[in-house]
Order: sequence, then C-alpha cells, then structure tokens
Amino acid sequence: MNAWAERYVVGSGLDLMTAAPEARWQPLLTALEGLGREELGRRRDEIQRLLFENGVTHGPLTEDAESGRPWQIDPLPLMMAPAQWRELEKGLVQRSRLMKALLADLYGPRRMLNQAVLPADALFANPAFWLPCAPLVGDEESALTLHGVDLTLDADGRWRVLADHLQTPAGMGYALENRIVMARVLPDIYRDAPLKRLAPFLGRRHESLSALSKLNLDHPVIALLAPGHARDGHFEHAYLAHYLNLVLVEGSDLVVRDNRLWMRTLGGLEPIDVLTRRIGDAWCDPLELRGDSLIGVPGLLQAIRAGGVSVTNLPGVGALEHPLIAAHLPILCERLLGESLMIDGVERHWCGSEAGREWALDDFDALHFQRLDGDTAEPRPSALDEAQARALRRAVEAEPERFVASRPVAGATAPFVGADSASLHPAPFNMRCFSQALFDDQAQFSHHEVMPGGLAWRGAPGTALQASQCVRDVWVTAETPQPHVSRLRRSRQPLVVTRDGDDLPSRVADSLFWLGRYGERLDGRTRLLREGFYRLMEQDQEAFRDESLAELLKLLEGEDAATAAGVAPVGSDQQRLLALLREGPEDALPTLVHRMISNGRAVRDYLGDDAWWVFNRMRQEATGLARLDVAGARRATETMVSRLAAFFGLCNETMPHHYGWRFMDIGRFIERTLTTLGLLRFALVDACLVRDPLCEIMLASTDNATAYRRRYRSALHPAAILDLLLFDEGNPRSVGYMCKRLARQIEHLPQPGNTPYRSEETQLLIRARSTLHLADLATLVRVDEDDGARAALAALLDALLTPIAALPRAIELNHFSHAEPPRQLIPMQAP
Amino acid sequence: MRYRVRHMTRYDYAAPVSLCHNEARLALRQLDWQQITGSRIDIVPRPAVRQQRPDFFGNGVTAFSIQKIHHSMTVTAVSEVETLPRPDPPESYRPTREAAVEEARHSPELRQFQLDSPFVARSDALRDFALPSFPPGRALFDAVCDLNRRIFEEFTYAPGFSTLATPIHEVLVERRGVCQDFAHLMIGALRSMGLAARYVSGYLETLPPPGQPRLVGADASHAWVALYLPGWGWLELDPTNGSLPGTRHLVLGWGRDYGDVPPLKGVMNGGSSHQLEVSVDVAPVEEG
Repeated sequence: MNAWAERYVVGSGLDLMTAAPEARWQPLLTALEGLGREELGRRRDEIQRLLFENGVTHGPLTEDAESGRPWQIDPLPLMMAPAQWRELEKGLVQRSRLMKALLADLYGPRRMLNQAVLPADALFANPAFWLPCAPLVGDEESALTLHGVDLTLDADGRWRVLADHLQTPAGMGYALENRIVMARVLPDIYRDAPLKRLAPFLGRRHESLSALSKLNLDHPVIALLAPGHARDGHFEHAYLAHYLNLVLVEGSDLVVRDNRLWMRTLGGLEPIDVLTRRIGDAWCDPLELRGDSLIGVPGLLQAIRAGGVSVTNLPGVGALEHPLIAAHLPILCERLLGESLMIDGVERHWCGSEAGREWALDDFDALHFQRLDGDTAEPRPSALDEAQARALRRAVEAEPERFVASRPVAGATAPFVGADSASLHPAPFNMRCFSQALFDDQAQFSHHEVMPGGLAWRGAPGTALQASQCVRDVWVTAETPQPHVSRLRRSRQPLVVTRDGDDLPSRVADSLFWLGRYGERLDGRTRLLREGFYRLMEQDQEAFRDESLAELLKLLEGEDAATAAGVAPVGSDQQRLLALLREGPEDALPTLVHRMISNGRAVRDYLGDDAWWVFNRMRQEATGLARLDVAGARRATETMVSRLAAFFGLCNETMPHHYGWRFMDIGRFIERTLTTLGLLRFALVDACLVRDPLCEIMLASTDNATAYRRRYRSALHPAAILDLLLFDEGNPRSVGYMCKRLARQIEHLPQPGNTPYRSEETQLLIRARSTLHLADLATLVRVDEDDGARAALAALLDALLTPIAALPRAIELNHFSHAEPPRQLIPMQAP
Repeated sequence: MRYRVRHMTRYDYAAPVSLCHNEARLALRQLDWQQITGSRIDIVPRPAVRQQRPDFFGNGVTAFSIQKIHHSMTVTAVSEVETLPRPDPPESYRPTREAAVEEARHSPELRQFQLDSPFVARSDALRDFALPSFPPGRALFDAVCDLNRRIFEEFTYAPGFSTLATPIHEVLVERRGVCQDFAHLMIGALRSMGLAARYVSGYLETLPPPGQPRLVGADASHAWVALYLPGWGWLELDPTNGSLPGTRHLVLGWGRDYGDVPPLKGVMNGGSSHQLEVSVDVAPVEEG
C-alpha cells in the first residue's frame, strides 16, 4: 500500500476507494505519488494550461475576458472496477429502455395515466409537457437516442440516480477533453492503464445519428444545433461537432421550407437530414412551443411530423425529467417493462397522495421540496429561517398536490488529490454517465450502449456540474489492455471528398469576415499605441515635449464630447496613454480583443488548432492590460502585434484557401485600407505642423520605416511616402496593393444569381482602383508647399475612402443572407 | 338554425415578408348539435405547404407556410353549419360541487382542465370572487349560472381595455374586459373552486331576432366557457352575455385557455409592423 492511501482518512461514511479496492486505485496512486510532489504539481499546472489553451470553459463568454473559467481537473480519475461497472451498466441500459417506453406512452396512449399508475398532474401540472408534441411528433426511433444520468454512491454503498438529462444531455465533450488532456499530461499512467476507451462509443454515435436519416441514406447531413457561441457550453458544442463530424449550426442558420430543414449557406439552401440539438425543448420552435424563442427554428415541429428531418432527442422529452415522474419510476418500470428498477433514485413522494403528504409533513425539516410547476427547487427547510419554513409548511399543507418532497442523499466519498499534490482527501461526488441508442444496418433500433466512462465532479449529491470547482475523468478498468483508436472516424461508407465550398453557412462567412476586421483593427490600434509608448519613453529621457505624441493621443482618443466642447483632456500623457489600454471609445483594446474572440469562437471549428492556441494566449494576455506600467504596456503591445501576425499567418498557412478564408482576408484588408487612408490624412493633411514626426509614426506603425530608409535614406519626402503607402502595388502596406488584393479575392467569391452584371462590390473596387491609377502625382508631391496640393490630396483620400467604406455593406447584402429574427403574428406569451 | 359563417383575416405588412409558418383553427367543429355541411379555408397568397391535423384536443388545425415574398396575407374561412339545441341537464339532475371536484381529480381527461394553464392561474382572489355564488347547499348547476350572471352584470364590456397580456387579476379589479377576459376570469374562478373548466372558441350570431336586444360579440370571434358536470358532461356558459349558449353559438374548438386555440397564429421573417383587418359574418340561411 502506498503512503497516500495509508494516510487517507475516511470519515464515518462509506468511501468508494476503500469499498472497492479491486478497482485498481493502487497502481494509479503509486504512479501519481511516484512522480513526486513537485513534478505532480507541474503536471497539474500543465493540465490547467492545456485546458485554457484549448479554450475549455464552461460558462458563457461575456465582455469580461476573465470569465469563462476552465475547470480544475483532479489528476486522479474516479476508478470503476469491471464488476462494479457491469452492474451499473445494466441499470443504466434499463433506465434508457424505461425512458423510451415511458415517452412513447406519455406522448401516445397515456395508459399509465388512465390506469392511475401515474397521477395526471405529472403531465398536466408539468410545464415541460408540451401538448403540440403529443402525439409524438417524430418516430420512436429518434425520440431518445442519448440519455445522460447523474449518479452518486450513497452511504450504504448503493448507486442512486440523482437526475436524468434528456433535452440536452451535456458533458460528453468535456469527458472526452478531460481524457485527452490527461493522456497528454500523464502519458505513462494513461498508456499503461487497462482502461476502456471512449472513442469507439463516440464513433458509434455518428453511426446512430446517420441511421435516423430518412431521405438521404448514404451521406446524410447531420447538424448539431447549439444555442449560440455566446452561450454556456459553447466549447463542448464546437468540440463535439468537430469530433463527430457534424455541422455546427445555430437557429438563425436554419430555415424550414417545403417541410424540410435547410441551412443557409453562401451557395443557397442546403438540406439537413438529421439534427441533434443542444437547446431545450421549449426553445425549438417559436410557432408551436415558446413563441419568444429566438434560437429555434419556426416550423421545425411541422417538418419533423412531415418526415422532412429527424431531430434527436425529440422536443418534448424534457417532460420525463420532472420530479413527479421521477417519484413514480419504480412502479412505472414494473408496469412498462415488467422488471423492478435496478438503480434507485432519490426517495421521493408526491404530497398530493395521502401517504406522501404524511411522509413529507412528518419529516418536514429533513426533506427537500420542489414545486410541480417551477424549475427552481425550494431551499431545504433547514436552510430557511423559522418564518420562511413555517410559510413553506403552510403552503404544502394548503396545496399539497403542488409539491414533491425528497430526502437528500447522504453520499459516500471518493478520494481527491489535495492542493499540495501530496495527500488524498475524501469528498462527496457526482458522476454523469451516458447511454446511447444503437441501430442495425436496416436502421432499426438494436440496443442501448453505455459510454465506458464519464464525468465526475466534487460536491454534495445534486450539486450542479456548472457549480463545481473540480471535475475528473471516470476510468472503467478493463481486464485486458485496450487498443488505442484514432480519433478519425472510420466510416462504413466510402469517403466523399469534400472541400469547404459554397456550403459554408452564411453566418460562418459573416463571422470570419468580422474576425478579419476586428483582428486588423486591433492590429492597427496596437501598433499606434506601441509608437505612443516608444515616444513616451524617449520623451521622458530627453525631457522635452514631443508634439507628435500630443497629436497621436488626439488621434487615439478620438473625437469625444469633451474634446468637441474644447475641454482639455485631463491627466499626463502617460496616464492618457495607459488609459487607452483599458478604455476608450468603440476601439478600446479589450473591446476589440473581446469582439475578435467572440467572432473567433463562433467559427472555432474552422480555425486550425495552432491558430486557436495563439488566440487563447491573446485572450489570456488581454486580461492583464489594465494593470500595466509604461514598460509593461510597451512589451504588451509588442507581444500583441506579434500574436496577431502569428494568428493571421497561421490562418493563411493552415486554412484552406476557400470561401471562408477569403472572407476573413477581405475583412482584414478592408480594415487595413481604412486605417492606412486615415493615417495618411492624419499625417499629411490634418496635422502638417509636426509633419515629420507624424510621418515617422505612420511609417513605423505600418512597419514601413525600414523599407523607407533603405530606399530614401532618412529624409522624409511626401512624394516618396505617398508612393510607398499609396501607389506601390508591390508593397503589402500600400493602398494600391490592398485594393488589388481585395479585387482578386472578390473575383473568387461565389456570385449569387449568376447575373451578367458586375456585383456592387466589384464596382466599388473598380472605382477605388481607377481613382488611384488616375491620380496626379505631380500635383500631390507639392503637398508641403501648396494648399491646393493639400486639398487635392484630401480629395484623393476621400475619393478612395468612400468606395472602400461602402464595401462591407455591399458584401453583407450580397453574400450573408441574414435571416431577420422571426416575429410572431400575435405575441402568444401568457401574462 | 342554419348558418353560413365567413371569417376573413387580412394582414398588411409594412415590409415584405419572405417566409411565414402559420396555424389556423378556423374550421367549425363537428358535434352532435352542430352539423357541418360545408367548410373551406382560402389563403392568399397560395401557401406552398398546407396540412391538416387534429390538435391535442381534437380541434382541426390547418398548418400552412407561405414561401414567396408577400406584402399581405388573407385567410378566409367559410363554413356552412346547422345547429340544434344543446341538450340540457335534466331538472332532476343536481350534482354537488364536491362530486364534480372528486370526479375531475381522478380522471386524466378532466384533470388538465382543473389545474393552472398558461393564461389562467388559480388564486385566492378568484376563489373569493366565486364564493358568494356557492353558498352551502346550493346545487352546482345553480351556482355556476349565478356566477355566469354576476360576471355579465358586474363587469363592463370594454373593447380596447385589455390585451392578451392583461392578467386576469387586472380584469377582476377593474371589472372590465372583452369576451376572452370574461371567459378566462370565469375559468379561473371555477378552477379556484376546484372545478374543471375549459375555454371555448367560436362565433355568436349577432343579428337580433325582432324585438330582442342586440347581443354583444358582434362581428368578431367569440369565446365562452364550459364546465364539467359529473356524470353528465360539459355545460357551456357565456359570461359575456350571461346566458347558456344555444343554437346561435357556433363552436370552433376548445382548450385549457385562449393559448390552446387561437384562430390564427404564425411566425414570419420580415414584415416589420402590420395592419390587421378582421371581419366575421354569421349569416342565417333561409330554410328550403
């Protein structure tokens, strides 16, 4: 026995490790302990770093860049012995069979109600029972193909079900990610362990989704409907979609026409055959379910009824998650399956029955009360003050049929590795398991399969996964070593070579476009700030005021109400410059980083892993911007510039140069053209008094200082600057080059409608390019001496700015077929 | 009585609508005392998809989608119907409220009409309002007729006062509303007394026979209430008119409340704002 286990002190209750020593905890503990405290600490940091870099968060991405925290993974998995697991597996399969039979009955003949096995309140006082879903809108095969079950071990050593997840059984993606990260950080331990692998289960998930397709049997298009990239769980949705080779879509990507489900793409509508969803029942279809849903698809239920699409799990399944149904599962199992329920749930009774009421009132203080019509549980009476507890008791006595009472489970413990990486501590835990339906080659239901593993988290039984601080992998040990399975799925069907063509969802093209725009805007802004910090540091050393810094600050701070009213900005140059790192108008750095990342998250599955890595570093670094001093700020801007270069460089290197990449590139170069035109105006037209230093800033911020010096030594000739930054099509920082590149990219975009006329964006570029080609350089070079020449330059810059500024709108109209948000004919919300 | 009912709904949109999905519950329901002899629903522009199905309560639903760009939508339902007097509970039949409550509690079919529904929640205030009509010893039938009469007499029919989002309590406090509000109010009061009550959507003939006052509910859809009498069946009551529906009340369908049986609902892309025009014409047809 190793030292950790020897020193492990279990409380009075049962402990998973001491109760099931055959689960091979020992070799694992020995291996972990053998790493030594410091090495294990390093490995744990590495785990957290990987999670962070892979963008594993469970929480919505908000304006606050620090939220969306990765969770802590305990390096010690929860170990399940083969025999122990087999029992559990049997129970879980039975539970899935029960849920399937119950669903068919409740949304069908309702025999369980008519035979008084289940009180009618279980449906009619259950807000998750949707009348439009009865009779079952789709077929029974697709109704329930994935089932998540939360379990814990009680103090008597029996497994107990705490909750069923049927609407959006989340967590498989996290389980997989945990496993992959563990395998990378603790390769020796992982490789030697005879544990069951998850990949085969997930591979079969794709097969069973394919089996649900009705119209397209060979190569069905399967999509995963997520609530949106700003919502909870986005990491998992993107990750699973990627792993299972599903199209990740949001409600606004989809439309129902001709009783079929379609995805809006660059090339028009593409059919979707199977939809697996991660939005709750209520939100699936604003026509028949919640009318105020903006994340669902109007007409979806009708399309399912008509057989135009298979949706799984079917809307309506959430009714089975209700506590009143949970309270009756043992008897329902007897009646529907003719078997007794293998895994007990929580002890639970309906106060609407006389026996249940007596039970609940007798032991009032120890129980937990839930209202039938509410999602939220009442706090435990013991957590209430006296008056509140009395009020709850009165409410139960007055209308007992509105309540279900349950006895909280006293959970057994499992060992968790302490923060010191040198000891074990017992704590109660929850575990989520998954079961899926499998189909034979005739697409008929065959049997249920349980994922050999899962997700465990620390917390009293019933603690929500999202609320837990610490999660861990679940290892099901096998008798023999298990083969590694590649994460690339082996298909039964011949591979169809696909290229990202015009089946790119419009929304994705849109997000890539904005990713490019925000990224480039961030780049331009960061470069100017960097110049500001250079100048600030030089000025401090040489003790004179650098006029160009004042001009630069004005440019960066923008025209706000105070400056327009002639109020001088407060604070020293240094304070003003540092303030720009954390605040400012539209273009504050953290805002730009946030917008860029938010667009990036929306297209996570279109970016390469390396690009994503850079992205996560940037996100991490952006959180510290507000706390920097001048030297730190200068370094941070330098880092940011190189991160952005790395990000876009990697995108150029790794993204297929198809439509998605083109839209990103167009976004970048529109933004870069606008920035450059603005800078030229700033340095050569608006602020000619301190022109030379401003020209230096401009050259440096466009990274052209070296090129200029090589060509022209150090003298600043306007003609030379204009040539370098406007006309030289060979210089990637010149407006001429940018327009040429935009024209080439736009030429390759799909043109809807196939008209013989030039599209508006093409015309705009022709205007910009001919303006440039026809410019009278001889006049412009006298910009130093001559007001007329300066006016001519201003006019030229305006003539270039107008078409380029109009370009984004033209592209949006022509390519991103935005669905307007659905509206109701009559708002159907009840008061 | 024989009637020809024409119900026209027209939406004019301020901006083009590119796609809409709708559900109409506009076909009169076939009943023992309501024989449907003809029924059609015309939709302009012509929908690309159109399907019939019964809803949870057995009401006929026409689901349709218009898939081309349009600026207006007109739905016209025309039905021909012959109505007979509804059966009355026999004089000797006098069930108690307690019996009604008990029966509904144990019947899955009835229980859903006894519980809260999205637009109608039971409350103490509604119970207090109902109680004076239910003195000990009074037969259920008499009590509910009294409640029906009280709503008719104590409340003012006031179009424009309420919307779909107006809670029953406001109607109860302000004592005004339209047929929908009175139906919800009465359902809420009956359910707060433990009874099973449902919402009935339909029409009322408004051309008065000579010498009788004109009834409220003209030129619009109408709504009333049905109460379950144990061992007998559903008794309809019209609190807006303080009457028991007869041959001039035509039934479209029923549900727990308005939300289950709106004559027309839909979701569209585009449209911005709209103007709505509704006309209902319940015309008696001469015999022969």
